Amino acid sequence: MKNSEALVLGIETSCDETAVGIVRGRKLLANVISSSVEEHARFGGVVPEIASRAHLEAMPSVIAQALSDAKVSLEDIDAFAVTAGPGLIGALLVGTSSASGLALALDKPLYGVNHLSAHIAVDSLNSEHKLDPAIALLVSGGHSSILQINDLTDDVKTLGSTIDDAAGEAFDKIARILELGFPGGPAIDREAKSGNPDAIEFPRGLTLARDLVDHKYDFSFSGLKTAVSRYLAKTPNHLRADVAASFQEAVVDVLLMKAIGAAKETGIETLIIAGGVAANSRLRDLAQDRTQKAGIQLRIPPMVLCTDNGAMVAAIGSLAVAKGLKPSQIGFAADSSSGISKPIF
Amino acid sequence: MSTYLLIDTSTSRTSVVIVGDGKTLFASHHDGALSHGESLPELVAQGLKIESKIDQVIVGMGPGPFTGLRAGISFAQSFALGRGVPWLGVCSLDAIASEISEKDFLIAIDARRKEVFYARYTDGSRIGEPKVCQPSQLDAFDIPIYGEATNQYPDPSEFISIAEAGATYSQPIYVRRPDAYPAPIGVKFRPMNQLDLVPAFAIEKDSYGHEAWTMAQFKEEFAGKERMYVAAEFAGGLIAYAGVVNLAGTADVLTMTVADGHRRKGIGRELLRRLIDWSRTQKCEAIMLEVRVGNEEAIPLYESFGFIEISKRKDYYGPGKTAIVMRKELT
Ligand SMILES: [Zn+2]
Repeated sequence: MKNSEALVLGIETSCDETAVGIVRGRKLLANVISSSVEEHARFGGVVPEIASRAHLEAMPSVIAQALSDAKVSLEDIDAFAVTAGPGLIGALLVGTSSASGLALALDKPLYGVNHLSAHIAVDSLNSEHKLDPAIALLVSGGHSSILQINDLTDDVKTLGSTIDDAAGEAFDKIARILELGFPGGPAIDREAKSGNPDAIEFPRGLTLARDLVDHKYDFSFSGLKTAVSRYLAKTPNHLRADVAASFQEAVVDVLLMKAIGAAKETGIETLIIAGGVAANSRLRDLAQDRTQKAGIQLRIPPMVLCTDNGAMVAAIGSLAVAKGLKPSQIGFAADSSSGISKPIF
Repeated sequence: MSTYLLIDTSTSRTSVVIVGDGKTLFASHHDGALSHGESLPELVAQGLKIESKIDQVIVGMGPGPFTGLRAGISFAQSFALGRGVPWLGVCSLDAIASEISEKDFLIAIDARRKEVFYARYTDGSRIGEPKVCQPSQLDAFDIPIYGEATNQYPDPSEFISIAEAGATYSQPIYVRRPDAYPAPIGVKFRPMNQLDLVPAFAIEKDSYGHEAWTMAQFKEEFAGKERMYVAAEFAGGLIAYAGVVNLAGTADVLTMTVADGHRRKGIGRELLRRLIDWSRTQKCEAIMLEVRVGNEEAIPLYESFGFIEISKRKDYYGPGKTAIVMRKELT
């Protein structure tokens, strides 16, 4: 271990995960996640007030567990990082306030970071490879974007994003219609394993020539959702596994079509897939196939680092420290709808 | 003697005080209902420049609008963790009350959504836990009201003596249950019809035993004028129903029953919301209901909608079974 590298603690509370990660340089030391997902399950989605209450309750024990896993003490930490947006504002504030409390108590720098950049930065952990430039496909319950990463801590461009539902949201909604439960991603993935992905031809949103003019790298999943419900309504004896598999195929197909298209067009030869939906087995398999054919290098972080976590926040904080970037101002504002143009607040 | 960092974010004001050896070393605040997250670290940073050695943190635990309140508590608990010092929570309203030398008064602060958090104080002590209601309902107490409306905010300097007196809290004082509950999954709400009477009667008997309405009463109540019944259906079967009547401009909840096995899922909340909405369309000035004393599931639900107790009716549900009458203004 290179002890000269900074020890960074990262806090993530933008949605329903209370998470703390600790890294030294690019080495992951701890990644502790406490999720309130079960409390949200009966509502079929995240309830902001419930999430915020859970963050406040879980925070001290999650911090303590991360320190104990990393075998370090708070006094050892060189810098703190925290998700400052985008996310649920009440939830974000629990995290930024906690991080500010720690940083001021210990008189250490604090970096407020962009949640989307953090999702990509997790790719830096436990490896030595060059991080940028890269094209990133970020897909989760909250976001579906194609990003051009010129410099992870300084220059990230959004090439496209969803114009309605996020991919993960589409999975949740279809799972609800198919009575497969919440969260929908894993449930559909499981159900689809025994179904035929080509059984039903569901639409691929924003792929027609006239859509491509304005929405080359954008996604739309609401039409797909309507198509699935219509299909179910007029096909009483449908096979649920076939519906799940065909729906999943339609999502995955369009995600990869556009992401690989972006890589080819920009001439950037690396594709990173991150976010919760990166855990989808069909997306992983098909991505492997298609990038190989296209001569593009594919990187997908380990599953546990794909969903919201603290390690990704610590990771981007650590990259910022290594680069000598200035910490965020004391009292920087959390921003529920911040764009990615600002990786560090 | 020790040095205290004292923080309150329960109102639109963010206040930070540092007290050392009984002397105020730093006191500052910032007003803004949406800026606690930014103001608090700035104020604490200023204070630490004057005195950075802190032995204990005390924070106002509310009641107060949740988002700002939690920013303060989250900061306080992490600051204490970072310094390895203890932290304590106190009721923020107590800190306003400490500065008032009246015999009998109320403290009330903005709770948003046209409601206030309040508590009553007599001879210097708080009577019971803080509650929530509409501002106009405080008039019924007919005693002076202090708080945000009279430009009085919690002064964190008071926290030390409040904590020393032992009135501490380890959890935020939320008063309200979490809001924004979405509809329970798979449950359909619709107007109740004749066909529902038989399954509804079965739920009624199951829920209330020999206190249940008879089928004849049931039919009669259902057929009455100026009333609205709503049913909840799950997997094709009736699981809950509720009814309300407009009695000359005041709505009265007739019944609200959720079948065993479907309780605690937010169905009662959805039913009640529909009864209130209907009462509003009828231009009722208030909605009233009766609930049995000690019904710990229903009473907090009603309170979260702004119902307050106005009287008790002895033997309402049979000998020795008292009902609480609750009322919510709709105007
Ligand atoms: Zn995320």
